[in-house]
Amino acid sequence: MNTGSAKWQRTLFIASFIVPTLAFFSLFTIYPVAKGLYYSLFDWSGMSQDKEFIGLDNFKALFQDPIVWRAIGNDYFLVLGKIIGIMLLATFFAVSLTRFNFKLAGFMRSIFFIPNVISVVVIGVLWSFIYNPQIGFLNAFLSLFTEDKVTIAWLGFMNHTIWMLLPPAIWAGIGFYMILLIAAIQNIPASYFEAAELEGAGQWKQFRSITLPLIWEQMKVSILNIMMTTLNGSFVIVWIMTEGGPDNSTQVMGSYLYQMAFRQYHFGFAAAIGVLILVLSLITTVVLQRLLRHETVELS
Amino acid sequence: MNNGIRNPVAKTIFYLILIGWSILVLYPLLWTLLDSLKDNEQFFRHLPWALPEAPLLWSNFSYVWSRYHFDTYFVNSIIVTLGSTLLGLLLAATTAYVLARYKFRGSNALYLLYIASMMVPFVLALIPLFFLMNSLNLVNSKTGLILVYTSSVLAFGIFVLVGFFKSLPKELEEAAIVDGASHYGTFFRIMLPLSQPGLITVGIVNVLNIWNEYIVGTILINDPSQYTLPVEIGVMQAEMQYRTEWGPLFAALFITIVPVLLLYIIFQRKIASGITAGAVK
Repeated sequence: MNTGSAKWQRTLFIASFIVPTLAFFSLFTIYPVAKGLYYSLFDWSGMSQDKEFIGLDNFKALFQDPIVWRAIGNDYFLVLGKIIGIMLLATFFAVSLTRFNFKLAGFMRSIFFIPNVISVVVIGVLWSFIYNPQIGFLNAFLSLFTEDKVTIAWLGFMNHTIWMLLPPAIWAGIGFYMILLIAAIQNIPASYFEAAELEGAGQWKQFRSITLPLIWEQMKVSILNIMMTTLNGSFVIVWIMTEGGPDNSTQVMGSYLYQMAFRQYHFGFAAAIGVLILVLSLITTVVLQRLLRHETVELS
Repeated sequence: MNNGIRNPVAKTIFYLILIGWSILVLYPLLWTLLDSLKDNEQFFRHLPWALPEAPLLWSNFSYVWSRYHFDTYFVNSIIVTLGSTLLGLLLAATTAYVLARYKFRGSNALYLLYIASMMVPFVLALIPLFFLMNSLNLVNSKTGLILVYTSSVLAFGIFVLVGFFKSLPKELEEAAIVDGASHYGTFFRIMLPLSQPGLITVGIVNVLNIWNEYIVGTILINDPSQYTLPVEIGVMQAEMQYRTEWGPLFAALFITIVPVLLLYIIFQRKIASGITAGAVK
Protein backbone atom coordinates (compact mmCIF):
# COMPACT_ATOMS: atom_id res chain seq x y z
CA MET A 1 0.00 0.00 0.00
CA ASN A 2 2.68 2.38 1.10
CA THR A 3 4.95 1.68 -1.86
CA GLY A 4 1.97 2.00 -4.15
CA SER A 5 1.23 5.51 -2.99
CA ALA A 6 4.91 6.48 -3.17
CA LYS A 7 4.93 5.30 -6.74
CA TRP A 8 1.78 7.25 -7.47
CA GLN A 9 3.33 10.36 -5.97
CA ARG A 10 6.41 9.91 -8.09
CA THR A 11 4.30 9.56 -11.23
CA LEU A 12 2.28 12.60 -10.33
CA PHE A 13 5.43 14.61 -9.72
CA ILE A 14 6.98 13.59 -13.02
CA ALA A 15 3.78 14.39 -14.90
CA SER A 16 3.41 17.80 -13.29
CA PHE A 17 6.96 18.69 -14.37
CA ILE A 18 6.73 17.25 -17.88
CA VAL A 19 3.22 17.98 -19.10
CA PRO A 20 2.97 21.80 -18.85
CA THR A 21 6.27 22.26 -20.70
CA LEU A 22 5.39 19.69 -23.32
CA ALA A 23 1.90 21.12 -23.83
CA PHE A 24 3.39 24.57 -24.29
CA PHE A 25 6.05 23.32 -26.64
CA SER A 26 3.56 21.26 -28.63
CA LEU A 27 1.21 24.17 -29.16
CA PHE A 28 3.70 26.90 -30.03
CA THR A 29 6.49 24.94 -31.71
CA ILE A 30 5.61 21.40 -32.80
CA TYR A 31 2.13 22.22 -34.05
CA PRO A 32 3.26 25.19 -36.20
CA VAL A 33 6.11 23.18 -37.70
CA ALA A 34 3.80 20.28 -38.55
CA LYS A 35 1.19 22.68 -39.90
CA GLY A 36 3.89 24.28 -42.06
CA LEU A 37 4.47 20.96 -43.76
CA TYR A 38 0.72 20.57 -44.19
CA TYR A 39 0.10 24.05 -45.65
CA SER A 40 2.71 23.42 -48.32
CA LEU A 41 0.20 21.09 -50.02
CA PHE A 42 -2.44 23.78 -50.45
CA ASP A 43 -3.19 26.72 -52.67
CA TRP A 44 -4.12 29.31 -50.12
CA SER A 45 -4.17 33.08 -49.97
CA GLY A 46 -4.59 33.08 -46.20
CA MET A 47 -7.41 35.57 -46.30
CA SER A 48 -10.26 33.16 -46.81
CA GLN A 49 -10.99 29.78 -45.35
CA ASP A 50 -11.10 28.07 -48.71
CA LYS A 51 -7.82 26.30 -49.05
CA GLU A 52 -7.54 24.10 -52.06
CA PHE A 53 -5.57 20.88 -51.80
CA ILE A 54 -3.17 20.77 -54.71
CA GLY A 55 -0.76 18.04 -53.64
CA LEU A 56 2.78 18.73 -54.74
CA ASP A 57 1.89 21.51 -57.18
CA ASN A 58 3.50 24.14 -54.97
CA PHE A 59 6.76 22.23 -55.20
CA LYS A 60 6.44 21.99 -58.97
CA ALA A 61 5.87 25.75 -59.11
CA LEU A 62 8.82 26.19 -56.78
CA PHE A 63 11.25 24.55 -59.15
CA GLN A 64 9.88 26.45 -62.13
CA ASP A 65 10.37 29.78 -60.40
CA PRO A 66 13.75 31.26 -61.38
CA ILE A 67 13.77 33.40 -58.22
CA VAL A 68 13.77 30.24 -56.09
CA TRP A 69 16.86 28.98 -57.90
CA ARG A 70 18.54 32.31 -57.44
CA ALA A 71 17.60 32.30 -53.75
CA ILE A 72 19.10 28.83 -53.31
CA GLY A 73 22.25 30.02 -55.07
CA ASN A 74 22.46 33.08 -52.83
CA ASP A 75 21.92 30.98 -49.72
CA TYR A 76 24.74 28.65 -50.59
CA PHE A 77 26.93 31.56 -51.60
CA LEU A 78 26.43 32.98 -48.10
CA VAL A 79 26.99 29.56 -46.51
CA LEU A 80 30.27 29.09 -48.37
CA GLY A 81 31.44 32.68 -47.91
CA LYS A 82 30.62 32.67 -44.21
CA ILE A 83 32.25 29.29 -43.58
CA ILE A 84 35.47 30.42 -45.27
CA GLY A 85 35.52 33.94 -43.83
CA ILE A 86 34.42 33.09 -40.30
CA MET A 87 36.48 29.93 -39.90
CA LEU A 88 39.70 31.55 -41.15
CA LEU A 89 39.35 34.63 -38.98
CA ALA A 90 37.90 32.90 -35.93
CA THR A 91 40.65 30.28 -35.95
CA PHE A 92 43.29 32.94 -36.45
CA PHE A 93 41.92 35.01 -33.56
CA ALA A 94 41.44 32.01 -31.29
CA VAL A 95 45.02 30.83 -31.79
CA SER A 96 46.48 34.34 -31.51
CA LEU A 97 44.63 35.10 -28.32
CA THR A 98 45.53 31.85 -26.56
CA ARG A 99 48.93 30.68 -27.82
CA PHE A 100 50.94 33.84 -28.41
CA ASN A 101 51.15 35.47 -24.97
CA PHE A 102 49.86 38.77 -26.25
CA LYS A 103 49.16 41.41 -23.71
CA LEU A 104 45.54 42.55 -24.08
CA ALA A 105 44.52 39.05 -25.20
CA GLY A 106 41.79 38.81 -22.55
CA PHE A 107 40.54 42.27 -23.37
CA MET A 108 40.44 41.58 -27.09
CA ARG A 109 38.59 38.31 -26.51
CA SER A 110 35.84 40.30 -24.78
CA ILE A 111 35.77 42.94 -27.49
CA PHE A 112 35.57 40.50 -30.39
CA PHE A 113 32.43 38.92 -28.99
CA ILE A 114 30.46 42.18 -28.86
CA PRO A 115 28.81 41.93 -32.32
CA ASN A 116 27.18 38.68 -31.15
CA VAL A 117 25.14 40.41 -28.48
CA ILE A 118 23.80 43.07 -30.84
CA SER A 119 20.52 42.58 -32.68
CA VAL A 120 20.76 41.62 -36.35
CA VAL A 121 18.39 44.51 -37.12
CA VAL A 122 20.80 46.99 -35.60
CA ILE A 123 23.71 45.41 -37.47
CA GLY A 124 21.75 45.61 -40.71
CA VAL A 125 20.97 49.29 -40.21
CA LEU A 126 24.59 50.12 -39.31
CA TRP A 127 25.93 48.38 -42.40
CA SER A 128 23.30 49.97 -44.63
CA PHE A 129 24.73 53.24 -43.45
CA ILE A 130 28.28 52.14 -44.26
CA TYR A 131 27.10 51.36 -47.80
CA ASN A 132 24.91 54.48 -48.16
CA PRO A 133 25.67 56.09 -51.55
CA GLN A 134 25.51 59.74 -50.41
CA ILE A 135 26.60 59.84 -46.78
CA GLY A 136 28.08 56.38 -46.24
CA PHE A 137 31.48 55.47 -44.86
CA LEU A 138 32.68 53.40 -47.76
CA ASN A 139 32.15 56.05 -50.44
CA ALA A 140 33.57 58.78 -48.22
CA PHE A 141 36.65 56.66 -47.64
CA LEU A 142 37.11 55.89 -51.33
CA SER A 143 36.61 59.58 -52.15
CA LEU A 144 39.81 60.33 -50.25
CA PHE A 145 41.72 58.74 -53.11
CA THR A 146 39.77 60.09 -56.09
CA GLU A 147 39.17 63.52 -57.55
CA ASP A 148 35.44 63.19 -57.89
CA LYS A 149 33.20 62.19 -55.08
CA VAL A 150 32.46 58.47 -55.21
CA THR A 151 28.73 57.74 -55.25
CA ILE A 152 28.49 54.00 -55.75
CA ALA A 153 25.19 52.45 -54.69
CA TRP A 154 26.73 49.42 -53.02
CA LEU A 155 23.42 47.71 -52.43
CA GLY A 156 22.03 48.54 -55.88
CA PHE A 157 24.04 46.44 -58.32
CA MET A 158 21.95 44.27 -60.60
CA ASN A 159 24.35 41.40 -60.01
CA HIS A 160 26.64 40.43 -57.18
CA THR A 161 24.98 42.68 -54.58
CA ILE A 162 24.87 39.54 -52.46
CA TRP A 163 28.63 39.98 -52.02
CA MET A 164 27.92 43.13 -50.05
CA LEU A 165 25.95 41.16 -47.48
CA LEU A 166 28.88 38.89 -46.72
CA PRO A 167 30.99 41.37 -44.70
CA PRO A 168 28.21 42.21 -42.19
CA ALA A 169 27.38 38.51 -41.83
CA ILE A 170 31.00 37.60 -41.17
CA TRP A 171 31.55 40.60 -38.90
CA ALA A 172 28.54 39.60 -36.83
CA GLY A 173 29.40 35.91 -36.61
CA ILE A 174 33.09 35.66 -35.74
CA GLY A 175 33.02 36.24 -31.98
CA PHE A 176 30.82 33.25 -31.24
CA TYR A 177 32.97 30.75 -33.14
CA MET A 178 36.14 32.31 -31.77
CA ILE A 179 34.93 31.63 -28.22
CA LEU A 180 34.04 28.07 -29.18
CA LEU A 181 37.53 27.47 -30.59
CA ILE A 182 39.25 29.20 -27.69
CA ALA A 183 37.52 26.80 -25.30
CA ALA A 184 38.74 23.90 -27.44
CA ILE A 185 42.33 25.16 -27.51
CA GLN A 186 42.34 25.66 -23.76
CA ASN A 187 41.35 22.02 -23.33
CA ILE A 188 44.57 20.86 -24.99
CA PRO A 189 47.06 19.80 -22.28
CA ALA A 190 49.90 22.32 -22.04
CA SER A 191 52.41 19.47 -21.94
CA TYR A 192 51.79 18.75 -25.65
CA PHE A 193 52.96 22.20 -26.58
CA GLU A 194 55.85 22.10 -24.13
CA ALA A 195 57.12 18.86 -25.61
CA ALA A 196 56.87 20.31 -29.11
CA GLU A 197 58.66 23.43 -27.94
CA LEU A 198 61.53 21.36 -26.52
CA GLU A 199 61.91 19.62 -29.83
CA GLY A 200 62.18 23.01 -31.48
CA ALA A 201 58.83 23.09 -33.24
CA GLY A 202 57.83 26.63 -34.20
CA GLN A 203 54.35 28.10 -33.78
CA TRP A 204 53.25 27.11 -37.27
CA LYS A 205 54.40 23.52 -36.76
CA GLN A 206 52.64 23.41 -33.40
CA PHE A 207 49.47 24.74 -34.96
CA ARG A 208 49.55 22.21 -37.79
CA SER A 209 50.42 19.14 -35.76
CA ILE A 210 48.84 19.83 -32.35
CA THR A 211 46.21 22.55 -32.33
CA LEU A 212 44.47 21.86 -35.63
CA PRO A 213 43.94 18.10 -35.21
CA LEU A 214 42.80 18.55 -31.62
CA ILE A 215 40.27 21.31 -32.31
CA TRP A 216 39.00 19.72 -35.52
CA GLU A 217 35.93 18.38 -33.74
CA GLN A 218 34.92 21.92 -32.69
CA MET A 219 35.70 23.27 -36.15
CA LYS A 220 33.34 20.68 -37.56
CA VAL A 221 30.62 21.71 -35.12
CA SER A 222 31.25 25.34 -36.07
CA ILE A 223 31.03 24.69 -39.80
CA LEU A 224 27.75 22.78 -39.40
CA ASN A 225 26.42 25.49 -37.14
CA ILE A 226 27.31 28.25 -39.62
CA MET A 227 25.58 26.31 -42.38
CA MET A 228 22.41 25.78 -40.37
CA THR A 229 22.11 29.28 -38.95
CA THR A 230 22.74 30.74 -42.40
CA LEU A 231 20.07 28.69 -44.17
CA ASN A 232 17.61 29.29 -41.33
CA GLY A 233 18.32 32.85 -40.33
CA SER A 234 20.41 34.81 -42.82
CA PHE A 235 17.29 36.27 -44.35
CA VAL A 236 16.84 38.79 -41.52
CA ILE A 237 19.93 40.73 -42.49
CA VAL A 238 18.96 40.42 -46.17
CA TRP A 239 15.50 41.71 -45.41
CA ILE A 240 16.77 44.69 -43.45
CA MET A 241 19.46 45.69 -45.92
CA THR A 242 17.96 45.00 -49.36
CA GLU A 243 14.53 43.37 -48.95
CA GLY A 244 15.81 40.85 -51.48
CA GLY A 245 16.29 43.50 -54.13
CA PRO A 246 17.23 45.02 -56.46
CA ASP A 247 14.93 42.97 -58.66
CA ASN A 248 15.12 39.89 -56.40
CA SER A 249 18.86 39.57 -57.00
CA THR A 250 19.72 39.22 -53.29
CA GLN A 251 16.72 37.10 -52.38
CA VAL A 252 17.50 34.13 -50.14
CA MET A 253 15.01 31.37 -49.38
CA GLY A 254 13.95 32.85 -46.04
CA SER A 255 13.39 36.34 -47.40
CA TYR A 256 11.46 34.98 -50.37
CA LEU A 257 9.30 32.96 -47.98
CA TYR A 258 8.61 36.10 -45.97
CA GLN A 259 7.81 38.13 -49.06
CA MET A 260 5.57 35.46 -50.57
CA ALA A 261 3.68 34.95 -47.32
CA PHE A 262 3.36 38.36 -45.73
CA ARG A 263 3.61 40.68 -48.75
CA GLN A 264 1.97 38.66 -51.52
CA TYR A 265 -0.19 36.30 -49.48
CA HIS A 266 0.78 33.11 -51.30
CA PHE A 267 0.84 31.18 -48.06
CA GLY A 268 0.86 27.70 -49.57
CA PHE A 269 3.75 28.53 -51.88
CA ALA A 270 5.63 30.20 -49.02
CA ALA A 271 5.11 27.15 -46.79
CA ALA A 272 6.63 25.05 -49.57
CA ILE A 273 9.72 27.27 -49.45
CA GLY A 274 9.87 26.52 -45.71
CA VAL A 275 9.83 22.80 -46.43
CA LEU A 276 12.55 23.33 -49.02
CA ILE A 277 14.72 25.06 -46.40
CA LEU A 278 14.19 22.15 -44.02
CA VAL A 279 15.04 19.54 -46.62
CA LEU A 280 18.11 21.39 -47.91
CA SER A 281 19.49 21.99 -44.43
CA LEU A 282 19.08 18.30 -43.55
CA ILE A 283 20.73 17.17 -46.80
CA THR A 284 23.55 19.67 -46.37
CA THR A 285 24.12 18.50 -42.78
CA VAL A 286 24.52 14.92 -43.94
CA VAL A 287 26.77 15.87 -46.85
CA LEU A 288 28.98 18.13 -44.75
CA GLN A 289 29.27 15.53 -42.04
CA ARG A 290 30.52 12.99 -44.57
CA LEU A 291 32.96 15.43 -46.14
CA LEU A 292 34.35 16.57 -42.80
CA ARG A 293 34.62 13.06 -41.40
CA HIS A 294 36.77 12.16 -44.35
CA GLU A 295 39.01 15.06 -43.51
CA THR A 296 39.54 13.84 -39.93
CA VAL A 297 40.85 10.51 -41.15
CA GLU A 298 43.41 12.24 -43.32
CA LEU A 299 44.64 14.38 -40.47
CA SER A 300 45.13 11.76 -37.84
CA MET B 1 55.83 27.68 -20.77
CA ASN B 2 54.72 28.94 -24.11
CA ASN B 3 57.11 31.47 -25.63
CA GLY B 4 54.70 33.10 -28.02
CA ILE B 5 56.04 34.27 -31.32
CA ARG B 6 59.78 34.87 -31.52
CA ASN B 7 60.02 36.65 -34.84
CA PRO B 8 59.43 40.37 -34.07
CA VAL B 9 58.14 41.16 -37.58
CA ALA B 10 55.55 38.40 -37.42
CA LYS B 11 54.61 39.48 -33.94
CA THR B 12 54.02 43.05 -35.11
CA ILE B 13 51.88 41.91 -38.03
CA PHE B 14 49.75 39.72 -35.76
CA TYR B 15 49.34 42.58 -33.36
CA LEU B 16 48.28 44.96 -36.10
CA ILE B 17 45.65 42.54 -37.37
CA LEU B 18 44.23 42.07 -33.87
CA ILE B 19 44.17 45.80 -33.18
CA GLY B 20 42.63 46.38 -36.60
CA TRP B 21 39.80 43.99 -35.82
CA SER B 22 39.29 45.55 -32.39
CA ILE B 23 38.79 48.89 -34.11
CA LEU B 24 36.42 47.34 -36.65
CA VAL B 25 34.30 46.03 -33.79
CA LEU B 26 34.44 49.00 -31.43
CA TYR B 27 34.31 51.84 -33.88
CA PRO B 28 30.75 51.26 -35.12
CA LEU B 29 29.57 51.49 -31.52
CA LEU B 30 31.42 54.73 -30.93
CA TRP B 31 30.20 56.14 -34.19
CA THR B 32 26.60 55.21 -33.38
CA LEU B 33 26.91 57.40 -30.32
CA LEU B 34 28.67 60.23 -32.16
CA ASP B 35 26.19 60.26 -35.03
CA SER B 36 23.26 60.26 -32.65
CA LEU B 37 24.39 63.76 -31.64
CA LYS B 38 24.34 65.28 -35.14
CA ASP B 39 21.63 67.03 -37.11
CA ASN B 40 20.76 66.06 -40.69
CA GLU B 41 22.82 68.84 -42.19
CA GLN B 42 26.02 67.57 -40.60
CA PHE B 43 25.46 64.18 -42.21
CA PHE B 44 25.43 65.69 -45.67
CA ARG B 45 28.00 68.45 -45.23
CA HIS B 46 30.72 66.57 -43.35
CA LEU B 47 32.54 63.29 -43.68
CA PRO B 48 30.91 60.36 -41.89
CA TRP B 49 33.73 60.14 -39.37
CA ALA B 50 33.65 63.84 -38.51
CA LEU B 51 32.94 64.59 -34.87
CA PRO B 52 29.53 66.10 -34.10
CA GLU B 53 29.50 69.89 -33.91
CA ALA B 54 28.77 71.77 -30.72
CA PRO B 55 26.17 72.06 -29.36
CA LEU B 56 25.78 68.29 -29.17
CA LEU B 57 22.24 67.32 -30.04
CA TRP B 58 21.32 65.29 -26.98
CA SER B 59 17.81 66.33 -27.89
CA ASN B 60 17.83 63.53 -30.50
CA PHE B 61 17.47 61.13 -27.61
CA SER B 62 14.52 62.88 -26.03
CA TYR B 63 13.09 63.25 -29.53
CA VAL B 64 13.04 59.50 -30.27
CA TRP B 65 12.05 58.81 -26.68
CA SER B 66 8.89 60.90 -26.90
CA ARG B 67 8.14 61.60 -30.58
CA TYR B 68 9.00 58.09 -31.79
CA HIS B 69 7.51 56.61 -28.59
CA PHE B 70 10.64 54.79 -27.57
CA ASP B 71 9.43 55.07 -24.00
CA THR B 72 6.62 52.66 -24.92
CA TYR B 73 8.82 50.32 -26.99
CA PHE B 74 11.46 50.19 -24.30
CA VAL B 75 8.91 49.17 -21.69
CA ASN B 76 7.34 46.67 -24.13
CA SER B 77 10.73 45.11 -24.76
CA ILE B 78 11.42 44.82 -21.04
CA ILE B 79 8.03 43.23 -20.31
CA VAL B 80 8.28 40.75 -23.17
CA THR B 81 11.91 39.87 -22.45
CA LEU B 82 11.48 39.37 -18.71
CA GLY B 83 8.14 37.61 -19.06
CA SER B 84 9.34 35.03 -21.55
CA THR B 85 12.71 34.54 -19.85
CA LEU B 86 11.15 33.79 -16.46
CA LEU B 87 8.37 31.59 -17.82
CA GLY B 88 10.89 29.84 -20.06
CA LEU B 89 13.21 29.17 -17.12
CA LEU B 90 10.44 27.68 -15.00
CA LEU B 91 9.18 25.40 -17.78
CA ALA B 92 12.68 24.36 -18.85
CA ALA B 93 14.04 23.79 -15.33
CA THR B 94 11.16 21.55 -14.23
CA THR B 95 11.37 19.32 -17.29
CA ALA B 96 15.17 19.33 -17.26
CA TYR B 97 15.24 18.21 -13.63
CA VAL B 98 12.92 15.28 -14.24
CA LEU B 99 14.80 14.28 -17.40
CA ALA B 100 18.11 14.42 -15.56
CA ARG B 101 17.08 12.55 -12.41
CA TYR B 102 14.09 10.31 -13.08
CA LYS B 103 13.98 7.33 -15.41
CA PHE B 104 10.56 6.68 -16.88
CA ARG B 105 9.18 5.29 -20.10
CA GLY B 106 9.72 7.75 -22.93
CA SER B 107 12.16 9.97 -21.04
CA ASN B 108 14.88 9.48 -23.61
CA ALA B 109 12.51 10.09 -26.49
CA LEU B 110 11.30 13.27 -24.86
CA TYR B 111 14.83 14.55 -24.43
CA LEU B 112 15.62 13.74 -28.05
CA LEU B 113 12.46 15.54 -29.19
CA TYR B 114 13.62 18.79 -27.59
CA ILE B 115 17.18 18.41 -28.88
CA ALA B 116 16.06 17.52 -32.41
CA SER B 117 13.77 20.53 -32.52
CA MET B 118 16.85 22.76 -32.39
CA MET B 119 17.75 21.45 -35.86
CA VAL B 120 14.43 22.44 -37.45
CA PRO B 121 14.44 25.82 -39.17
CA PHE B 122 12.07 28.12 -37.34
CA VAL B 123 11.00 29.89 -40.57
CA LEU B 124 8.96 26.82 -41.37
CA ALA B 125 6.74 27.61 -38.36
CA LEU B 126 6.32 31.33 -39.07
CA ILE B 127 3.21 31.14 -41.25
CA PRO B 128 1.22 28.66 -39.12
CA LEU B 129 2.29 30.57 -36.03
CA PHE B 130 0.75 33.73 -37.40
CA PHE B 131 -2.59 32.00 -38.07
CA LEU B 132 -2.51 30.16 -34.76
CA MET B 133 -1.99 33.39 -32.84
CA ASN B 134 -4.62 35.07 -34.94
CA SER B 135 -7.21 32.43 -34.06
CA LEU B 136 -6.27 32.68 -30.37
CA ASN B 137 -6.69 36.46 -30.55
CA LEU B 138 -3.07 36.87 -29.55
CA VAL B 139 -1.85 38.91 -32.51
CA ASN B 140 -0.79 42.44 -31.55
CA SER B 141 -0.42 41.43 -27.94
CA LYS B 142 2.58 41.25 -25.67
CA THR B 143 1.13 38.10 -24.12
CA GLY B 144 1.16 36.41 -27.51
CA LEU B 145 4.76 37.41 -28.06
CA ILE B 146 5.71 36.14 -24.59
CA LEU B 147 4.10 32.75 -25.28
CA VAL B 148 5.91 32.28 -28.59
CA TYR B 149 9.28 33.46 -27.27
CA THR B 150 8.95 31.22 -24.23
CA SER B 151 8.36 28.22 -26.44
CA SER B 152 11.29 29.15 -28.66
CA VAL B 153 13.80 29.14 -25.76
CA LEU B 154 12.65 25.86 -24.14
CA ALA B 155 14.85 23.45 -26.10
CA PHE B 156 18.03 25.38 -25.42
CA GLY B 157 17.18 25.73 -21.72
CA ILE B 158 16.36 22.04 -21.32
CA PHE B 159 19.54 21.04 -23.13
CA VAL B 160 21.80 23.13 -20.90
CA LEU B 161 19.95 22.48 -17.64
CA VAL B 162 19.77 18.69 -18.05
CA GLY B 163 23.55 18.77 -18.27
CA PHE B 164 23.71 21.02 -15.27
CA PHE B 165 21.42 18.94 -13.05
CA LYS B 166 23.34 15.80 -14.00
CA SER B 167 26.55 17.45 -12.80
CA LEU B 168 25.14 18.04 -9.30
CA PRO B 169 25.97 15.38 -6.67
CA LYS B 170 23.17 12.91 -5.98
CA GLU B 171 23.93 12.67 -2.25
CA LEU B 172 22.12 15.93 -1.54
CA GLU B 173 18.82 14.64 -2.84
CA GLU B 174 19.26 11.30 -1.13
CA ALA B 175 19.84 13.08 2.15
CA ALA B 176 16.76 15.22 1.58
CA ILE B 177 14.62 12.16 0.89
CA VAL B 178 15.95 10.45 4.04
CA ASP B 179 14.91 13.59 5.91
CA GLY B 180 11.41 13.07 4.55
CA ALA B 181 11.30 15.81 1.92
CA SER B 182 8.80 15.37 -0.90
CA HIS B 183 9.76 15.38 -4.59
CA TYR B 184 8.61 18.98 -4.82
CA GLY B 185 10.41 20.00 -1.63
CA THR B 186 13.64 18.45 -2.89
CA PHE B 187 13.36 20.30 -6.17
CA PHE B 188 12.30 23.73 -4.98
CA ARG B 189 14.29 23.92 -1.74
CA ILE B 190 17.47 22.08 -2.68
CA MET B 191 18.01 21.52 -6.39
CA LEU B 192 16.70 24.83 -7.70
CA PRO B 193 18.90 26.98 -5.42
CA LEU B 194 21.89 24.78 -6.28
CA SER B 195 21.30 25.18 -9.98
CA GLN B 196 21.40 28.96 -9.79
CA PRO B 197 24.59 29.30 -11.90
CA GLY B 198 23.01 27.24 -14.68
CA LEU B 199 19.75 29.15 -14.46
CA ILE B 200 21.56 32.47 -14.68
CA THR B 201 23.54 31.34 -17.73
CA VAL B 202 20.42 30.18 -19.56
CA GLY B 203 18.48 33.22 -18.42
CA ILE B 204 21.04 35.73 -19.67
CA VAL B 205 21.39 34.05 -23.05
CA ASN B 206 17.61 34.04 -23.40
CA VAL B 207 17.37 37.69 -22.41
CA LEU B 208 19.84 38.59 -25.17
CA ASN B 209 18.08 36.51 -27.80
CA ILE B 210 14.61 37.74 -26.96
CA TRP B 211 15.64 41.38 -26.60
CA ASN B 212 17.18 41.22 -30.06
CA GLU B 213 14.47 39.17 -31.78
CA TYR B 214 13.04 40.78 -34.88
CA ILE B 215 11.20 38.50 -37.28
CA VAL B 216 8.56 36.96 -35.00
CA GLY B 217 7.91 40.40 -33.52
CA THR B 218 7.41 41.87 -36.97
CA ILE B 219 4.97 39.17 -38.01
CA LEU B 220 2.89 39.09 -34.84
CA ILE B 221 2.77 42.82 -34.07
CA ASN B 222 1.28 45.46 -36.36
CA ASP B 223 -0.08 47.78 -33.74
CA PRO B 224 2.61 50.41 -32.99
CA SER B 225 1.63 50.59 -29.32
CA GLN B 226 2.82 46.97 -28.91
CA TYR B 227 6.13 47.21 -30.84
CA THR B 228 9.34 46.02 -29.28
CA LEU B 229 12.58 47.91 -29.95
CA PRO B 230 13.92 45.77 -32.85
CA VAL B 231 10.53 45.87 -34.58
CA GLU B 232 10.51 49.66 -34.39
CA ILE B 233 14.12 49.85 -35.65
CA GLY B 234 13.05 47.87 -38.70
CA VAL B 235 10.12 50.21 -39.26
CA MET B 236 12.29 53.29 -38.82
CA GLN B 237 14.87 51.95 -41.27
CA ALA B 238 12.14 51.47 -43.89
CA GLU B 239 10.78 54.98 -43.25
CA MET B 240 14.22 56.54 -43.76
CA GLN B 241 13.70 56.11 -47.49
CA TYR B 242 11.32 59.04 -47.56
CA ARG B 243 11.90 60.74 -44.23
CA THR B 244 15.54 61.21 -43.34
CA GLU B 245 16.23 61.72 -39.69
CA TRP B 246 19.65 60.25 -39.29
CA GLY B 247 20.46 61.62 -35.85
CA PRO B 248 17.32 60.18 -34.25
CA LEU B 249 17.87 56.86 -36.07
CA PHE B 250 21.30 56.52 -34.49
CA ALA B 251 19.93 57.57 -31.12
CA ALA B 252 17.37 54.79 -31.52
CA LEU B 253 20.09 52.26 -32.34
CA PHE B 254 22.07 53.38 -29.33
CA ILE B 255 19.09 53.03 -26.99
CA THR B 256 18.57 49.49 -28.31
CA ILE B 257 22.22 48.47 -27.93
CA VAL B 258 23.01 49.91 -24.49
CA PRO B 259 21.01 47.47 -22.32
CA VAL B 260 22.51 44.35 -23.93
CA LEU B 261 25.95 45.91 -23.87
CA LEU B 262 25.68 46.57 -20.13
CA LEU B 263 24.41 43.04 -19.60
CA TYR B 264 27.36 41.72 -21.59
CA ILE B 265 29.87 43.72 -19.59
CA ILE B 266 28.43 42.45 -16.30
CA PHE B 267 27.86 38.82 -17.27
CA GLN B 268 30.59 38.35 -19.86
CA ARG B 269 31.78 34.91 -18.78
CA LYS B 270 28.28 33.53 -18.29
CA ILE B 271 27.24 34.68 -21.73
CA ALA B 272 30.25 33.22 -23.49
CA SER B 273 29.89 29.86 -21.75
CA GLY B 274 26.11 29.76 -22.15
CA ILE B 275 26.01 30.60 -25.82
CA THR B 276 28.70 28.12 -26.70
CA ALA B 277 27.05 25.41 -24.57
CA GLY B 278 24.11 25.38 -26.96
CA ALA B 279 26.30 24.88 -30.01
CA VAL B 280 28.07 21.71 -28.88
CA LYS B 281 25.26 19.34 -29.62
